[in-house]
Amino acid sequence: MAVYSVQAQKTKTEAKTKIVADTIKTPLFNGFTVQGDLISAISSLTSKGETYSYEGSLQADFKHKYLPVLEFGYAGADKLTSDNIGFKANALFGRLGLDFNMISQKKDKKPTNNLFLVGFRLGMSKFNYNITNVSITDDYWGGSQAIPYNNISTTKVWYELVAGIRVEVIKDIFMGWTVRSKSLISKDADGNVTPWYIPGFGINNGNANTAINYTIGYKFQLPFKRKTAVKAKKPNTEIKPDTKPDTKPRNNNQQTK
Amino acid sequence: MYHVTQTDTSRTVASMSIDSITVRGLKYDAATKKYSYMDSVLYNNLKTITKIDLPLHSFELTSAFEVTFNSKKITTNTVTSKNDTILYLNKRDTLIVTHQNTDKYLSLQCGSVKVHSIDTILTTNNFIDSIRITNRKVSNINVENIQIYK
Repeated sequence: MAVYSVQAQKTKTEAKTKIVADTIKTPLFNGFTVQGDLISAISSLTSKGETYSYEGSLQADFKHKYLPVLEFGYAGADKLTSDNIGFKANALFGRLGLDFNMISQKKDKKPTNNLFLVGFRLGMSKFNYNITNVSITDDYWGGSQAIPYNNISTTKVWYELVAGIRVEVIKDIFMGWTVRSKSLISKDADGNVTPWYIPGFGINNGNANTAINYTIGYKFQLPFKRKTAVKAKKPNTEIKPDTKPDTKPRNNNQQTK
Repeated sequence: MYHVTQTDTSRTVASMSIDSITVRGLKYDAATKKYSYMDSVLYNNLKTITKIDLPLHSFELTSAFEVTFNSKKITTNTVTSKNDTILYLNKRDTLIVTHQNTDKYLSLQCGSVKVHSIDTILTTNNFIDSIRITNRKVSNINVENIQIYK
């Protein structure tokens, strides 16, 4: 008779555990993360003002799978070539995109907050730029002409393919890196004046740009999410007493006597 | 430089080598309405030449050149059935090229250059028979723009 009761307790415990595991479902909205990029800030300090960029982002977490992101920042350049040709521009830029978390959450395990992300961005910057000290000299016929390229207004749009990781280093504090390949959507025709630097895109050399970000961010969990997390934990503590008999050594032969 | 051989039934165009050539730019003085030589010579008695590069004026719409040819032409005499050699010594022609000039931005490092579009070419006919414009767009790329025929 006792044997049957132990087996009954076991199946009861398994059933309860299963119910608890099923109740820890990933909510639709898991809060949002505010992040800042360290690499652009550090490289801005080391480039002595030739190029500078400061950027941050706001990323929402849906189902721990889909993470739409808004990146924004301020960047510019103040470049002087060896021939004394100068380039100056600065502006705000923005990028909108979506990341997909490639780490699949297993239902029977506690969901991890770490992320392996792949995604895309659509970036845009509207800015004015100046190119100074451009002149054409006719070596044979003689004469020289200065060509002013002042206050040229332009809007550049580009797309980015990104991949990266985020690791929760302390509770709700995330760090991680992102590698991105940037390509301009519309390219300038041959012979047209083009900006040397595009805020948010980087140096415009006519080809795809690659960049790396190292971000630190804080994840704001929503209050109801915290409550549900606490509620979800409670049944686990209740189960423990039920599971205790299983851990104690039993002599089944004695009980059957 | 090209040479055309034409018979009753055929017309053959062949590249032609000039024994020596001298090319100088001519600048126009609006006050005196006369052309005068530029200080530097573009080609100074250069031997055995098949093509020349002529710099067009970056800031004016006309570029003029004086070309001095030294060449010989060998033809078959139909009466004697022997080769006749015709010598062209110091034959001077003037080329006047009218063109449009446009700024072309290259990059921040290279700056801008002028590119040209040839409108017309006028020539005297002391040595040159005719001229054909093959490509009106003139840039700093090594492309043939005109053909000079003897």
